Amino acid sequence: MSQAQNTGQVMKAVIRIQRFNPDVDRKPYLADYPLDITDDTTLLDALETIKNELDGSLTFRRSCRHAICGSCAMNINGKNTLVCNRRVKAFLDGKGRVTIRPLPYLPIIKDLVVDRSAFWEQYLRVKPWLIPPASYNENQAPNSEFRVMPEEVAALKNAETCIMCGACYSACSVVGMNKKYIGPHALLKSFLRVMDPRDSAPAERLENVGGDDGVFRCHTIFNCIDVCPKGLNPTQAIETLRKLAQKRRDFEAARVERQKTLEADHV
Amino acid sequence: MRVFVLQRVTAVALVVFLTLHMIVVHYPPGHLDFSRVMVRLANPVWKVIDILFLLSVLVHALAGAYAVLIDAERIMPYKRILAWGAIALGVVAFIYGTITIINFKVLV
Ligand code: SF4
Ligand code: FES
Repeated sequence: MSQAQNTGQVMKAVIRIQRFNPDVDRKPYLADYPLDITDDTTLLDALETIKNELDGSLTFRRSCRHAICGSCAMNINGKNTLVCNRRVKAFLDGKGRVTIRPLPYLPIIKDLVVDRSAFWEQYLRVKPWLIPPASYNENQAPNSEFRVMPEEVAALKNAETCIMCGACYSACSVVGMNKKYIGPHALLKSFLRVMDPRDSAPAERLENVGGDDGVFRCHTIFNCIDVCPKGLNPTQAIETLRKLAQKRRDFEAARVERQKTLEADHV
Repeated sequence: MRVFVLQRVTAVALVVFLTLHMIVVHYPPGHLDFSRVMVRLANPVWKVIDILFLLSVLVHALAGAYAVLIDAERIMPYKRILAWGAIALGVVAFIYGTITIINFKVLV
């Protein structure tokens, strides 16, 4: 039974989807699927209904259905967003139609599924994991937790809820021009690590993101902020990294001092 | 990073120079008058201001064009050539402009 039959008043909608099967098609094309929807039908519900009832060959990624896994980012009416938490009704144009395309600037594997290799390669470039102080011994459990001040935690707020959906990466015009650019998602993660008082390699990170493919390549176009489904601000993070990259030695020295107090707490 | 910083510094200089330029040349009534413009251009203080203005415009424009061009993945491998080309173009334009400004005299 489709979602449309479950709740609320039923209305007509046309879901226009970009289709592409590399084994058969020479280039992508748009296909229309008429559907009954209700106020509550999400874009993902619509895609599931089409796949289950109209065309089983339709291919798309999804997993959690709760806007937390980041796998369902697509381009809706020209703007990237998640499809699992957005209602179809909000996107219908005057003709009762919504257009769903795969994320732009990325190679299409099939229909709405794109190849995210470049996205993950850039992510790994910034060493997204925490690098603990040299004194930290991973074979010996610490006696107490690292204490981080509330204001230090607050500084991380802008980055820690990123779900790696790729909406920002694929909306970035610089990424569109040059796949060597690290990209807003990875720079936001780098910001998270640089600002974290427990991390002991801020200078190395700042040198990395201050290079040719990093923060100075951003043209503050703000597409990343515009599309982020979590309301994050990668541009602000990039701006902060730009400033810190120019005084990275001082920043690292301050971090060493800060970590001495962490270690005092830690003993 | 150097190009980025250069472009920001010249952007600030341009705000100052352009404000001065608009106020002196365009806004006060009667300032778009041939003889007044002649006298101003012959003034040594204005010559210095105009040369600095020219320098800021050139650095800002060429740094901006360079930054945008090397965004393209295909152009990026040639960025050194592009940088030297931009510097050469800037030097030629600066010398040409400076000679024009310095040599300006009021013809009476
Ligand atoms: S910053 Fe926002 S848009 Fe970019 S990957 Fe994270 S959640 Fe997605
Ligand atoms: S399905 Fe997980 S974020 Fe949409």
